[in-house]
Amino acid sequence: MDSKKLLIWGGIAVVALAALFLIMRPAGGGAGAENVSASRAAELAAAGVRVIDVRTPGEFETSHVPGAENVPMDALSTEAAGWDPAEPLLIYCATGARSAQAVQYLEAQGFETIYHLDAGLVAWEGELEKGTQVAPMPPDAVPAGTPVMYEFFTDW
Amino acid sequence: MKPVVDRLKQDYEGTVEFRLYDVDRSQEGQELMRQFGAQYVPTFVFLNSDGTEVDRVVGESSEEDMRAILDSLK
Repeated sequence: MDSKKLLIWGGIAVVALAALFLIMRPAGGGAGAENVSASRAAELAAAGVRVIDVRTPGEFETSHVPGAENVPMDALSTEAAGWDPAEPLLIYCATGARSAQAVQYLEAQGFETIYHLDAGLVAWEGELEKGTQVAPMPPDAVPAGTPVMYEFFTDW
Repeated sequence: MKPVVDRLKQDYEGTVEFRLYDVDRSQEGQELMRQFGAQYVPTFVFLNSDGTEVDRVVGESSEEDMRAILDSLK
């Protein structure tokens, strides 16, 4: 009889521990930061989550998520020093590389809720606010007799 | 991408002109990028000698693909 009781109580203990583990397990795979899809990011932006675009001012001006603030990587530490760490943030860049560094930095600074559009703006499916001065072919860009490869890059 | 671009520059010297802009530092680069309507970095824009745009690569790309585009330029 005693061994039966022991088995029952042992079983209950195992189930309770498993339930506790499932409840306590952190959601989203990271403390404070969660990678989100473009559709989830759009929902968050629509719900009023503060959206931070860490690309360069030139990229930002061309197009960006509606309502986003432009905080280029080199200005992030200065700007973020004045932010409330409890305020949820949605971070993005073009392809997710720069924003991953931004997320890492913000996590280290104690920001509690960070949503990261890890696929970048290239994955964005919604409308974008566009710049106003986009021309199809800049006159300065026309080659002088030889083919040309342009590269626009940053050090980040 | 820098090592790839460096190799391409070396191999295509004289046949293709390379115009590379660090848009964090170059005002001209930012202006051109906006005029091209390029939204992301890195962005590569390939033009024939008559100015027609042949291809545009956004983000990382393989050296093989870049060479294929460069070889197709006229």
